[in-house]
Amino acid sequence: MSGEAFELRGVEKSYGDLSVLSGATARFEAGCAHVLMGPSGAGKTTVLRLLAGLEAPDAGSVACPAGARLAMTFQEDRLLDNLTATANVRLPHARLRGAALEAFLVRERAALAAVGLPVDCRPVRELSGGQRRRVAILRCVLADADALLFDEPLKGMDDATIAQVMDYVTPLLAGKTVLWVTHDPREKDLLPNPVLWTVRDGNVFKL
Amino acid sequence: MPRAGEKNPETGGRLRTWGVRLLAVAFWLAAWQLAAWAIDARIILVGPLEVLARLGELAATEEFWLSVATSLGRIGLGFLAGVVGGVLLAALASRVRAVRELLAPVMGALKAVPVASFVILVLLWVSSSELSVVISWIMALPIVYTNVCEGIAQTDAGLLEMADVFGLTGLDRVRLVYLSRVLPYFRAAASLALGLSWKAGIAAEVIGLPDLTIGEHLYDAKVYLDTPSLFAWTVAIVVVSVVLTAAVDRALDAGLRRWEARP
Repeated sequence: MSGEAFELRGVEKSYGDLSVLSGATARFEAGCAHVLMGPSGAGKTTVLRLLAGLEAPDAGSVACPAGARLAMTFQEDRLLDNLTATANVRLPHARLRGAALEAFLVRERAALAAVGLPVDCRPVRELSGGQRRRVAILRCVLADADALLFDEPLKGMDDATIAQVMDYVTPLLAGKTVLWVTHDPREKDLLPNPVLWTVRDGNVFKL
Repeated sequence: MPRAGEKNPETGGRLRTWGVRLLAVAFWLAAWQLAAWAIDARIILVGPLEVLARLGELAATEEFWLSVATSLGRIGLGFLAGVVGGVLLAALASRVRAVRELLAPVMGALKAVPVASFVILVLLWVSSSELSVVISWIMALPIVYTNVCEGIAQTDAGLLEMADVFGLTGLDRVRLVYLSRVLPYFRAAASLALGLSWKAGIAAEVIGLPDLTIGEHLYDAKVYLDTPSLFAWTVAIVVVSVVLTAAVDRALDAGLRRWEARP
């Protein structure tokens, strides 16, 4: 993926009468972390959804590195309520069997313990909101992906939990394209040397 | 948490519930026995004691167990075919709108037409020995179809979007995303369909009179005014139904729990 990038070129996007992006242009280089900040409702999530291919622009174009494998956390947990935390984290690795599955399970259990989650057989519907959020983050960072998209992943977490989660997550982000959306400017300090962006007035600006 | 020497309120509550239920059953059994003594006409009403005695006699014969097995086998076959057909059609209908629209009136008719009409109609097309298979299939199919369709329709669009991002396709998408939502609907449908299939299948046997079946014995008991046998066979039907439903419910619940608890 080196040399390639996620790009918005003159992107316009509206929802009904509400114009969210108007001629947004930005190039997010691959292999490094990008933090997109801005007030609520500025269009940060829309940018992420466009880059993930979940939305089509009304005008302009969106480019993604060819063959890039994506992983993402959404504003909601989007977990499979009936399954355990490990089964949810393993979702992007649905084809694992035998020894490979066992090896990944060991890694998953270590990850759950590292971010302070219980390692048991409970379905995730029995976990608290904060615990579910951490499961969603682990599903994203343990996916075999080239680009990781985070939509306000730490929302609602206390500082101690954030520190615990980032201690585990940060080394896993090295060398990957990270697009991190937040409305909390303090989060830019959690990632190593991120490229900072702000989304406002329907456009995306590099800071 | 109860202290030592105190009764667990949950256990106490369960015992009280069962106690009340047993008392209610005992009340109605006593009322039934008193009514039988008061009427004093075996041809109209026999008491539970006599019914139990007759059931004991029947259960000692090979014919009784062969008849139960035959009815159970045929109705079970129809039920399973209905479950499989319902699931496959629901999967197809959820994917292809034309199929869904095409099947809507058929499923509506299957649910609305009285069982007796179906029995007589189907008897024109198949032999009496296959009748209960077809009727139980007709009973199970629309219930399973409707519930599984509902489960698929209720699958969260956000989860499907998540599956798209993570590149989850084909069977993995069905196995992990859809199954998670559909299983509770399927469990409820299977339990309901089983009870209905069993009752409708026996009714079909009473009309079609295939050899060596529960329905045939019920009919014979009615023709020969053998009221004790009529009641005894009816009790046997109820017992099989209760045991079967409980066994299937437990198996489905255990399967669901195991599926949910896998690491």
